Amino acid sequence: MNLSRPDRRERLDRLAAEFALGTSPPRVRRRLATIARRDRAVASALSEWERRIAVLADRIPATTPPPRVWRNIEMRLGLEPDRVPAREAGWLRRVAFWRALSIASLIGIIVLGATEWRRAPVVVPAPLVVVLSGADAKVGLIATATRGERYLTLKTVGNATPGQDKAFELWALPQAGAPQPLGVIPQGSVVRVLLKNPVDETLSNIPTLAVSVEPPGGSPTGKPTGPVVYSGAVERMY
Amino acid sequence: MSGDGQAQTTRTTTGERSERLAALLARIALSDQRAFADLYRLASPHLYAVAIRIVRDGALAEEMLQESFVSIWHHAGTYDAAKSQPITWLTSIVRNRCLDWLRRREIDTEPLATNDDDAPAWEPPSDGPSPVDLLLAAADAQALRGCVDLLESGPRQAIALAFFHGLSHRELASHLREPLGTVKSWVRRGLATLRRCLDAAGGAE
Repeated sequence: MNLSRPDRRERLDRLAAEFALGTSPPRVRRRLATIARRDRAVASALSEWERRIAVLADRIPATTPPPRVWRNIEMRLGLEPDRVPAREAGWLRRVAFWRALSIASLIGIIVLGATEWRRAPVVVPAPLVVVLSGADAKVGLIATATRGERYLTLKTVGNATPGQDKAFELWALPQAGAPQPLGVIPQGSVVRVLLKNPVDETLSNIPTLAVSVEPPGGSPTGKPTGPVVYSGAVERMY
Repeated sequence: MSGDGQAQTTRTTTGERSERLAALLARIALSDQRAFADLYRLASPHLYAVAIRIVRDGALAEEMLQESFVSIWHHAGTYDAAKSQPITWLTSIVRNRCLDWLRRREIDTEPLATNDDDAPAWEPPSDGPSPVDLLLAAADAQALRGCVDLLESGPRQAIALAFFHGLSHRELASHLREPLGTVKSWVRRGLATLRRCLDAAGGAE
């Protein structure tokens, strides 16, 4: 069957459409994928349909994968661990640091932040810290970030958990106006929430961050739908 | 044309993101690990969400994402910016990886599932927006505004379920409680309508 022949164009188009949508039977899928490797007409029919179809995926709410995914990828490919996260993870994992944090006042945090700041003379991280606590003043999460980066690192303190089939979502609360969603906080003791823009830009006019309980993919409405369980002031060390 | 300003903004940021991703892919093709890490940070939340939707299992979606990124590392050099947007290329890698997995499983279970009314039917996940909601949301933001509206409810639902949850023709038929032939023709008609409409709306973007 030569799918590239002009009289087969229509059939090829239909097969390519169903391949891109994903409804083709397994045998047809395998067959087409194999043919596409050597036949440019077939390959371009597939990529045309993939382009048409991919726009449908644009509005799926993004979900930050757990950090282990990246670690596994690095391991499988034998890459050198990404320098920045490794250094930061070491800092975040240090027991003494977190023990101090959970009991320390903000001043304590600033001192530690400054110590860390001196220890890394090459890349000067200008850190930003948000201690997110609940109504009972108990600390649930601590968010840290380095100026210029496009993510916030969140450390769970104690046993803060959103509950079964729920997720924590992080919000920026501007001085005036509606909360801005920053992203779903993946499960884990130290995780990252990726930002669309650098931290300083994202949080430039944001005095407070808050965490609400949402469905797993995050709030479906773009506004907090569950209870706001933690909040805290954005402290800039620069 | 009240939505013009909004559309303009969306296009600009999409354009910037595309340029950035394309530049990263070019560097990854030269084995730049830093670029690979950056690409992961930028694209993984979207790609992970796509994978979760299709395979409907967090751990499995993680595996699909890992395998996809291993493949992206090895094949970044085959990305052709003239042919597709980087996010389309990346999304296709993840979708195809997930769909291959689902279809492989389908072969394994085929004899059990055919002609069996008691077979456990596919259940839609109860959380989050439904496939049809997502389709309409996509339609809202894209050139396919109006195109989705052209679809009758049968084809619309079939396409949404197939796209967002990776259902095969057979699974669609059992889920929608319609004969296989009907479902196949819904998908075919729906795709043909989308194609005409998208291409007319300047789908070459």
